[in-house]
Amino acid sequence: MIASSLPARIPIACLRKKVIDQIVANGIVTGCSYALVAFGFALIYNTTRIFHFAHGAVYTFSIYVLYSLQTKLAVPTWVAILFSLALTALLGVGIDEVVYQPLVRKKSSLLLLLSSLATYMTIVNLLIMVYGNEIKVLNPEIQSTYVFGNVLLSRLQVNTILFAVAILTSASLALRLTKAGRMIRALRDDVDLLSALGVNPRFLRWLVFALGSALAGVAAVLQGLDVGANPNSGLLMFVSGAVAVIIAGGRAFEAAIVGAFVIGVLHAFAVWEFAGRWEESVTFLLLILFLLLRPEGIFARTRRVEESA
Amino acid sequence: MKYSLHVANMMAIYAILSLSLNLLVGYTGLLSLCHAAFFGVGAYISTLLVTNTTLPFFLCVAIGVAGTIILSCLISFPSLRLRGDYFVLASLGFQTIVFFVLYNWVEVTSGPFGIAGIRSPHIFSWILDTPHEYLLLSLSAAVLSGLLLYFLGASPFGRVLKAIREDELAAASLGKNIRLFKVTAFAIAAGFAAFAGAVFAGYLRYIDPTMFGLTESVFILSIIIVGGAGNTLGPVVGTFLLVLFPEVLRFLGVPESIGPNLRLVIYSLAVIIIMRFRPQGLAGEYKYQ
Amino acid sequence: MSCLYLYRVTKRFGGVSAVNNISLEFEEGKIAALIGPNGAGKTTLFNLIGGQIRPDEGEILCDGVNLSRKNPWQVAKAGVGRMFQDARVFQNLSVRDNVMLAFPGQAGESAMWSLFARPAVGRQEFLLNKQANALLKTVGLLDDAGRRARELSYGQQKLLAVARLLASRPRVLLLDEPTAGVTPRTAEKILGILRGVAAAGNTVVVIEHNMNIVSQFVDVVHFMEWGRVTLSGLPEAILEESHVKHVYLGAHAV
Repeated sequence: MIASSLPARIPIACLRKKVIDQIVANGIVTGCSYALVAFGFALIYNTTRIFHFAHGAVYTFSIYVLYSLQTKLAVPTWVAILFSLALTALLGVGIDEVVYQPLVRKKSSLLLLLSSLATYMTIVNLLIMVYGNEIKVLNPEIQSTYVFGNVLLSRLQVNTILFAVAILTSASLALRLTKAGRMIRALRDDVDLLSALGVNPRFLRWLVFALGSALAGVAAVLQGLDVGANPNSGLLMFVSGAVAVIIAGGRAFEAAIVGAFVIGVLHAFAVWEFAGRWEESVTFLLLILFLLLRPEGIFARTRRVEESA
Repeated sequence: MKYSLHVANMMAIYAILSLSLNLLVGYTGLLSLCHAAFFGVGAYISTLLVTNTTLPFFLCVAIGVAGTIILSCLISFPSLRLRGDYFVLASLGFQTIVFFVLYNWVEVTSGPFGIAGIRSPHIFSWILDTPHEYLLLSLSAAVLSGLLLYFLGASPFGRVLKAIREDELAAASLGKNIRLFKVTAFAIAAGFAAFAGAVFAGYLRYIDPTMFGLTESVFILSIIIVGGAGNTLGPVVGTFLLVLFPEVLRFLGVPESIGPNLRLVIYSLAVIIIMRFRPQGLAGEYKYQ
Repeated sequence: MSCLYLYRVTKRFGGVSAVNNISLEFEEGKIAALIGPNGAGKTTLFNLIGGQIRPDEGEILCDGVNLSRKNPWQVAKAGVGRMFQDARVFQNLSVRDNVMLAFPGQAGESAMWSLFARPAVGRQEFLLNKQANALLKTVGLLDDAGRRARELSYGQQKLLAVARLLASRPRVLLLDEPTAGVTPRTAEKILGILRGVAAAGNTVVVIEHNMNIVSQFVDVVHFMEWGRVTLSGLPEAILEESHVKHVYLGAHAV
């Protein structure tokens, strides 16, 4: 019976294999953007314990800066990108200085979270006031494509993978090899320790926010060139990044990258399965599922019970 | 005159929303970003019953409230074991998913087109279809809700909620079933939000999903942050100020096209400033420790 | 006849046994003290009894009820009360509310009852209020009943925590350093209250670092080290052990 059903099934299986390869490839490309956002979020969240909602707005901001530079000033794309990344890093540091720093003393994660949420709303709505609610196209050219075995990728998608790998690798190496990087890793473990040793944690915080925001900016630029500028895209990216960090659970920044690829691939499959109008809900459904089904990544590691408030 | 009546109706509805969210945020210390989702689910259930059946208005409202309470328990029971930040994130997820369901389940909700021409509620043969007649209904709904929520807050039940807000572990060590209290508070808050939704739909006689999105949840939250949480006065003050504010903008001649976004910018900036200088809000008690 | 039993209780964190195969019984009407160096596992043992963490092995029984798989609130309902090291009073609640909310069996804790049976709830509140006043008088905080707990001094907060603990009507009282950081007068007051509670037939267990208090006030001492109870007995006997002296007074005292 098995033998008789085989000939009919083989072509379908081939087709499915091909489709699955393509979906996984798409998932990896999306995962690259998620990974950049997640790595940036992990840098900030793991060292400052601020649930940095405004990260989503920082992401969105970066696309619109690029859009303005391209359309209003007509500078070369790479100059525009570098400039927009610099401004994005500055915005991240600015948020920390203006919004978070004055609250740190109060030691309330709820205050910080609410302020961060309000910062997100402020920036995104300012952007909508300036640019409107419609999607803006940044890159009107038709992309050339490459074929790798079963998989078809556009030039931009290939670039996304290359850039993401290069940037994530160098960021990860910088955190391990440079002095400042090692201090950031120490900051992750104990904020008070550093100030006791006489290192200026404020400077390190600037570094963390600048680097974290610039990473989100890279993702934003890559995504923006591909699908255009959308004022609400930051929320989705932020949630995906945050979920990646949550899945990772531990405190290693690099673990978030793995989480991001998991979400990217799952997202690609889910979109293929329930295509169309439900696409955006998939991210949030994954969020809920991960929050509820993987609690060990979510709860703080065992502390003395007295410490938990 | 007609305009101030409209504002009064909206104030009554938002008073119910902010006072009920206050039970979660101000009393229990649970930050929820899905209040507008319950507002919307209540509005949709009762509206669908009003338009598709001949049931009396108040029964439709009651079913809407009951349905929303059941939904809230399904949501809260698994997610309330998450701690602080993650619970907020989960509530954001639920808010968005409910919005997508209202938006995309076109067969039932008419999706983005919304539901128009909703019958005005009537008491026997008296149809409440003008703003001043409706104000009777919305105002009594607000007073009733406010009173019930006030009683709850001042009762031993409210006392335990406050204790949970202050120190969960200590409350548990006194024999209080934290999860049960939280689920109950969540269900009550959702029920009142649904009630507000039904009253809202009956008033506007038109609803669409964009009225119940994340922005709306953040708006309700801003009301109790600006006004203050943990008592009854704070949310009432907040409602008064923030519902009145668009009229101020209109009065100043801000163009309609940027009005809604400018409003959100100003509310958010207000939240940032309040968090920094007066975390208990203008008239509240709770300081978000 | 004894009330709290621990039978071969073990808890490991990673590879380390914070509590290692401890069997103990705490008798009614007596005050027992857990002593030992920092990191010996005393607080972990309290957390295990209180249900804040679950034992990996072993059973904890109170009046024949198995507590070892129960949540903190179930343990409290079973009659085991806990006072934390730093009092943990509800800072923004009034002193009176701190005590009032601790009473068990309040009908008004049900949302339905507090809305629709307001007269009955009101009557119960009236009675509990009287009891709360009596407790506050015992600890000397009656005049401060209307203030917020955070306005109290540290010693007063500890007294409030004792009153709150008594209001929850426990039969077993676990107190983590009840007298640390308070004035001698306050300490005396707290110890006097505990003596009375024990005399009424309840079980009292304290973690204590002050050897004067241990020697003068406690009935039984258990010396803990490395997650184990290495010595148990009367205070005068235990405190005379050279090993205990070594730990508490340093090498030169031996």
